[in-house]
Parts: sequence; C-alpha cells; structure tokens
Amino acid sequence: MANSTAIKVTNLTHTVTSNTGNLTILKGINMEIMESESVAIVGSSGSGKSTLLGLLAGLDVNTTGDITLYDQAFSNQNEETRALMRGEYVGFVFQSFHLLPSLQAIENVMLPAELKGDKDARKKAEALLEKVGLSHRLTHYPNQLSGGEQQRVAIARAFASQPKILFADEPTGNLDEENGKLIVELLFDLNKSQGTTLVMVTHDNELAKMCDRQLVMSAGLLTEKTL
Amino acid sequence: MNFAFRLMLRDIRSGDLVTLLMALIISVSTVTSIGLFIDRLQLSFEQESANLLAADRLIRSDDAISNEWKLKAEEVALQQAERTSFSTMMFANDALQLSQVSAVTDAYPLKGSYLVDDTLFGTGFSFDEPPQAGEVWVSSRLASLLSITIGDIVEVGDAEFTVAKYLVRDPGSSTSAFAISPRAVINMADLEATNVIIPGSRVRYSLLLAGDRDELAQYEEWVTPQLNEGQRWRTPTERGERIGDTIGRAESFLLLAGTLAVVMSGVAMALASARFVKRHLMQVAILKTLGATPKLLTRVFVQQLLALFVTGALVGLAVGWGMQEIIASLLSGLMSTSLPEPSVSRLWLGAATGLISMLVFCLPLMLRLIKISPLSVLQPNAKIEQNTLFIYLIGFFGMYGLMCLYTKGILLPTIMTVAIAGIALVVAVIGWVAFRLGRSLTSGATSGWQIGLASLYRRLVPNLFQLLVFTLIIMLGLILVGIKSSLISDWQSQLPEDAPNHYLFNVQSNQIDPINNETDKLNVERSDWYPMVRGRVTVVNDQTVQDLYPDDRGEPELYERELNLTWSDTLGEGNTLVEGDFSAQGLSVEQEAAKEANLGLGDVLTLNIGGNNVTLPITSIRTVDWGSMRPNFYLILPKSVLEDYPANFVSSLFISDADAQPFYKSMSQYPTVSILNVGDLLKQIQTIIGQLSQAIQLVLLCILSAGALVLLASVRSTLEERLEEGALLRVLGARSALVRQALLVEFGALGLFSGLIAALGAEACLYGLQVFVFNADASFHGLLWVLGPAIGVCVISTIGLFASRTVLKVPPMHLLRGL
Repeated sequence: MANSTAIKVTNLTHTVTSNTGNLTILKGINMEIMESESVAIVGSSGSGKSTLLGLLAGLDVNTTGDITLYDQAFSNQNEETRALMRGEYVGFVFQSFHLLPSLQAIENVMLPAELKGDKDARKKAEALLEKVGLSHRLTHYPNQLSGGEQQRVAIARAFASQPKILFADEPTGNLDEENGKLIVELLFDLNKSQGTTLVMVTHDNELAKMCDRQLVMSAGLLTEKTL
Repeated sequence: MNFAFRLMLRDIRSGDLVTLLMALIISVSTVTSIGLFIDRLQLSFEQESANLLAADRLIRSDDAISNEWKLKAEEVALQQAERTSFSTMMFANDALQLSQVSAVTDAYPLKGSYLVDDTLFGTGFSFDEPPQAGEVWVSSRLASLLSITIGDIVEVGDAEFTVAKYLVRDPGSSTSAFAISPRAVINMADLEATNVIIPGSRVRYSLLLAGDRDELAQYEEWVTPQLNEGQRWRTPTERGERIGDTIGRAESFLLLAGTLAVVMSGVAMALASARFVKRHLMQVAILKTLGATPKLLTRVFVQQLLALFVTGALVGLAVGWGMQEIIASLLSGLMSTSLPEPSVSRLWLGAATGLISMLVFCLPLMLRLIKISPLSVLQPNAKIEQNTLFIYLIGFFGMYGLMCLYTKGILLPTIMTVAIAGIALVVAVIGWVAFRLGRSLTSGATSGWQIGLASLYRRLVPNLFQLLVFTLIIMLGLILVGIKSSLISDWQSQLPEDAPNHYLFNVQSNQIDPINNETDKLNVERSDWYPMVRGRVTVVNDQTVQDLYPDDRGEPELYERELNLTWSDTLGEGNTLVEGDFSAQGLSVEQEAAKEANLGLGDVLTLNIGGNNVTLPITSIRTVDWGSMRPNFYLILPKSVLEDYPANFVSSLFISDADAQPFYKSMSQYPTVSILNVGDLLKQIQTIIGQLSQAIQLVLLCILSAGALVLLASVRSTLEERLEEGALLRVLGARSALVRQALLVEFGALGLFSGLIAALGAEACLYGLQVFVFNADASFHGLLWVLGPAIGVCVISTIGLFASRTVLKVPPMHLLRGL
C-alpha cells in the first residue's frame, strides 16, 4: 500500500513585525512529507528552520498559505482545534528537553496520556521509560537527571501519545557526543517500530544524513538536498 | 482523580502553590483575626457601657411602668429588673438627712455589679445582688452624716432597715443629675411599707432590660411609639457618652489597621500570584504542545483555584480564629474583664477577602497565563499577550472594593487610595533619581558596592515597584506606631491620674471661703467656682418650644430639661471659641448642643429663670472638653444678666483615696452641700482606655507581622533573577564575598530608601491626622526617622543575606541548572 501524505505545505509565508518593520521569514514554502518518512530540515542559524517547525506543528499561525495534516486543514484552525490535533497527531522532542521541573520522570511521561483521559497512563509511561532505559529513574525529578537522561525522558514523553508525526528541534544540540548518539539511536528505533513520521531540525550533518530526505532552508526558501 | 487535582498535588511539591496558598492563608487569617478581635472589643465596650447603665436598655419614666410593658418584655424573653428612685429623709440616732434612695428588684443589676464595702470609706468589692428585704446599704458619706455603722437601724418613712453594707458604687447610678444627696439602696419588696411614695412625689421609675440584640430591637420598635412626655428609651452608648469619643477613635484606629491588613493581604496575594504565573509560563506552553486546549487549561486552573480557595479559606479561618484567641488570652491577663466570645457570623469577612483576592489578583493572571503561545517552547523569549493595564485596573478596583466592604464606606478607602497613588509618584521620582545617581557614581564597577548600586538602575522597573511595596509597608507600620502613641498619650493627657473625681454642688457664696480653707488644708486640687442658676429654654426665635415640639419627639437636649446656667466674662479652661464674640452681651452656646437644636449666631432664645423671662441673642459658639471632668455648661450668660439671681456654686476637685475620709468628715459641717463622687466612673473610663491601649498595641503587632511576611514575599518575587546573576558572577570567578556584598548593598539601599521615604510619608500623614482628625497640635516624630530607615535596612538586608546563603553555598552549576 502506498504511503499517504502526512504533511502538505502550500505557498506558506510567514512575516513578523519587528522594531525595524516587517520581516518575512518564510517566503513561499511548498513541500510534502509522506507517512513514516524521516525528514531533516537543515540550514544556518536564523534561516527560519525553527519557525517552519513551529508552524508545521501548529504552535504558531502562518501569514499566508496552507498546512494540512493527514488531509485535514491545520494552519487556519483556531488554537482550540489546533491543540486537539496536536494531541491527536503530534509529538515533540526539544533541544532543551522542556520537562516540567515539578514533575517526576514518570509523571512527565504520563502527561500526554493523562490529557487524553487515558486510565492506563502510568502503565504506559512505565513501559516507555523502560524502553528508553530509565526504569530505575521513574521517581527522579528533572534536575536529578543528566542531560542525556532528561532527553530520554522527553523522548518517552513524545511517544506516549502514540503520535503519527514527531517533531524534533535539535534533539542532540545540548548533549555530548556519546549521549547524542544514544538519543539518535533511540529516536530512530522508536520511529521505525512505531511507524512515526519524523520531522527534525538540526545543524548536525551526520544526523541529517540518517534521515530519508534532507531539506535545506536558506533565506526563507526551502530546497531539497540531492544526495 | 481529576487531572486538575493530580496536577495540583504534584505542583505542591514544587513549593509555588504553597507560596500562593500561604499568601491566601495569611490574607484570610489576618483579616479574620483582626475582624473577630475588633468585634470582641466592640462587644466588650458595649458591655462596659451596659455596666454603666446596669442593663442593655432602660426605660426611664416619671410614672410607674405599665404592666403591659413588663409582660411584653417577658414575652420576647428579655431579662428585666426595676429601679424606683426618690429623695426622702432618713432618720437614725436622732439625726436626719435628705437622701437619694433607690429601691431595686432582686434581678438588679442586669449588667455590672455593685461595689460595696464593710468598712467606712473603703474602696469596695464587687457584689452582684441587691440588699435583702429589711436591709439598707448606705454610702459612707450618708453613714458619717447620720453617725451610723453596719448593724445600726435607720428609718425610711414608716419602715425600719438594718444597715448591711456601705455602698461604694451603684452600677446604674446617675451622674448627671444635680442636687445630689447621699445615696442608699433598699429592696423593692420593702418599698410599699415605707409609704414614702404618695401622689405628687418626685419619683423616677426605671425598667431595665437585657437580652439579645434582635430581641431588644424588637422590643424597642414596639415600645418607643408608646413613650410619652417624661419617658425615655436609653441605650448604653448614650449613657456612656463621655467615653464615646475615646471608643470612637479606638474603633477608627482598629478599622484603619484592619483596612491596612486587607491592603497588605492583597499585595501578598498579587505578589504570590505573579510569581506563580512567572514560574508556570513554560509549563503551560509545554502542556499546549502536548495537546492541552485553552478550554481544558481554563478548567484546570479554575478548578485548582477553587480547591486552593477552599483549602486556604478553611485553614485561614481556623488560623485567624486561633490567632484572635491567642491575642485575647494574652490580653486576658492585662484586662480587668474577660472579652465576650467572638461571633461566628463575622467569619464571612475573612472568607470574602480570600475569595475577592483570588478573583482579582489570581484569576486574571492565570487566565492570561493560559494565553501564552505554545511557540515559547521553541522561542523562549515569546511573551504573554500584554494587557497589563486591564490586570492593574482589576487589581485596583478589587482592592478598593475590598476596603469599602471592610470599612462599610468609601471615605477611608478613597483617602487611602489617593494617598497611595501620591506616594507611588513620589517613590517613582525619588527612586529614579537615586538609582540613576547610584549608577552614574559606579561606572566601571568592580567592587561589591559598585555592582550592588549599579544593579538598582539595571533592574529599574522591578526595583521601583519593590521600593514602592517596601515603602508602603514600612510607612503603614510607622503611621500606626505614630497614631498609637499620639492616641494613647492624648487619652492619658485627657484623663490624668489626678483628674477631678468629685463635684461640689449647692454651695452658697458665704460657704466658698470656708470650704476653700478646708481643701487648702488637705492640699486638694480644686477648679474655679462657677455660679449656677437653673433655667429652661421656653421660646426660640418667637416660637415656643411647645409649638416647635408638640409631642416631644426629637426634642433637643437644650430644650428638653431645666438647664444649669452660669455666667462668666471670660472663657473658662477647656472651652474654645468657635465663632462669634464671647464678651458680647448675649448667649454662648456649646457647639454640639447648638448643632442638635439647629441654632446659630443671631438666633434668639428666651429663658425662664426663677419665673422671669430673659431674652438674648446667641453671640458665640464654643466647644467644651467634656472629658476634662471640670464643671461644663451648655449655656453661658453675661454676668450682668444673672448676677442678681440667687445662685449656688459648683466646683470640681481631686480627692485621693487617702484624703477621702478626712475630706468627707470636714464636709459634714456643711450638710446642705452636695458631693458627687465620679471617681468610680473615672476609674471605669481609665480601665477602658487601658484596655484599648493594650488592644491597639496587639493589633499593631499583628499587622506588623503580616507586613513582615509581605516584605518576605516581595523579596522572594525578584530573588530568582538576583540568584541567577549571583551564580553567573561566581561562574565568572567572583569571590563569594563580592557576591554577598553586592546583594547586601542592593537590598540595603532599597531598604534605606524605602525607610526614608516611608518616614517622610508617615510624618506627612500624621501631620494631617493630628491637625484635621484629632484636632491636636502637630508634632515632629523624630523616632519615625530613626525607625523607618533602621527597619528598612535591617529587615530587608537580613532577608537578602538569608537568601544569598544559597548563592554562596551551593555550587553555581546546580543553581544555574535549577533555575
């Protein structure tokens, strides 16, 4: 069976207002990402990678153009609907982990399932933490974990809602090489086993090469990198 | 369990919710404890005043009290007692003496107690029951005039009585009636046998009532329309009007103090809410990326706030109740009477304060929190949608509303709001100039001093806000200290230990010199002699009083009874001219009496004096210091008008306990002279003032503790940024001492400035209060200028030092990671 389209972007632009006037960050982006595909978005700092990721995940509203997730209009929805769709389709892994400091590792992983009212949230979270090798750290708070461990918890949390699409923003950016490798392995393993679509923003060429496709962001325009 | 509660329980561990909960508990408990305590004090004053009346309410009548009234009192379950007072001759050992006798029923007194003694001129002990049938209690003066002692027989009319005790104080005894004779008390059961009350006798009948406020109000509503001329409904506050001013000022003080507690609680809630929101920005953004919708988040926060409110209010009410119990028990050792139980119905005020504080300070911030863009997780600089003015307006009106609710008026809240706004402006200007100066003096900062001073300008807006909060709290504290001192010293100066405690009446002009000799021999302080003539106002501006008030309703005191008139060409001590010319050939009227009768300069009154009519215009209005215990008069006439009338003279003097017996003995040579002993009344007033002073000091302590907690919350609110900076400085190689010094200098300077501005503000407020409210001379309060900066520097830098311990002890890496 042919893979369906997970994300479709048509004529996407994004303009922000700054002290010096309007600044167009994205200047007409068109792209299509298929289900289960892994895509790396690369480019220099300030090229608009993170802005694109934020718009794809519905964290911000674009100026013009359309984004659809699994053929459902996404970009022109209100925050309420976008939040519901995020809960349904999307998982996140961030450069700075963004675990809730007041919650234990297990509670952080339980959150997405709890938001959906899942009664088995704890059991699922335990299983996920075991998968990322942290079954012995369930009740630790984020500040009691190393950076690598925190990112593993974040990955477990990202997969807790069984997302169809996983967005990762520089997932190894704050980690040393060894931990970075571990995280990358984990991310791709889970991605494969769960059949998740992966959209990753990274500076790391090695990491980008591991993806099915690489898209290069430059001066607000996106081009496919031919391998 | 509900998601909101699960999240909340987890949040509790982080401490932020606890801070918010603590602020709420402080807010509810402070307002509750002060509210309850003030209520108890008010009840206590009412009871003290009731003791002066011997009842909660009293009907005074020139005719016997009707049975219907007594039955009605029984029907509404009021306690009742009766007193019948009359003048009669008493006989013993061939001597006779005109005496003022009260016959009372067994239930008398309903409030307060008799003060009696077994020895002549003793100071007395409390006794709750009246004399038994066949017994009489006589005042020591009467006993010495009749040469009788305990166990002797005296005759009143046709009946014989055994002297059982010496009467020191009758709780309901009148102190305003003149022509006072020595007193005696008998049991009502013996009254009939005396046969002294015959038609035409001048007798005063009283029905005394006691019970719940509601029942009393119900009875009052029923009985007042039936009162005729010569019948009066009396309440304790009217009766105790001499102490009314004192209590009124104390209540204003407590109300002011309570309002300040409300303001401080509001500030504490606002600070804690702001901190909570600041620390939850990222949490909400993350929850949004995980799929939490704005609706769900709104529900979560509203449920959390509700749970927080219920917990905070319950704990706050309990703590507040406990605190006022502690205050009351601390006071019980100092107070002569125990405080009445607090009313549970007053608890709503604390709960309402908590609820309104949450609605105006917490909810808007929380709802704004929900609006944070989820993009913040990718761009940490993304800010919450700004609608600060709206938030401030809600906070402002909420605080104003709370103050109005608390004071049941808008005057005090409005004055306070305007004052706070003015101070905010002053703080902004002085703070900006001072911080700016600090910055320019410290360019190229290398020492802790320089870094600390430079920080003040770097965080200008938060520092100015903090300066305002510190200034307000220290200033409020200083104002309370200032008012407390001037209130208490004002009272003490009004009623010094040697305030006159006896009046001499019915003194003939030829008796003045011999009596002066007697008092001089005893070294007794005596006021001037005032001539006194009795007269009644009959015509006001060509209209007779009878025409003006045909059914006596609303008749001013000036027209209601025969007045004591005096003449003088000079204003006496304690009298102050308000308008007109005192030396003019006309009437001088006391201001309050003139106000009640709606009289002013130029109005013409006709007085009936000894059968002759005298018509005079009002030529001056003056105030009188009623608390001075010197002879005071509503109306003063020109000497030329009154000097030909037969007058007797009045004076007041202070007799110490030691001088009492020889003084009474010497005065027995002048049997026609009446002596009125107001010493016990004075003692009662002094007791009340003593209680008030103690209460005020405790309330002050309470408020200052709440203020200290708010200071702490305020310091904490900006602590993180300072800690982060300290940690960074250490990472960059700064020694601990440098970081500590910088923090201390920053907090110390904030404390110093706020203390100085607070002293300035407090001095200005006290000037206004002294001149316009207490009508006293303005004075400089040097103490405040020392206390303000000292408290500012010590308290705020101690908190700063305490906080900096973490920066200095914990490895900087931990700090930076934990932030």
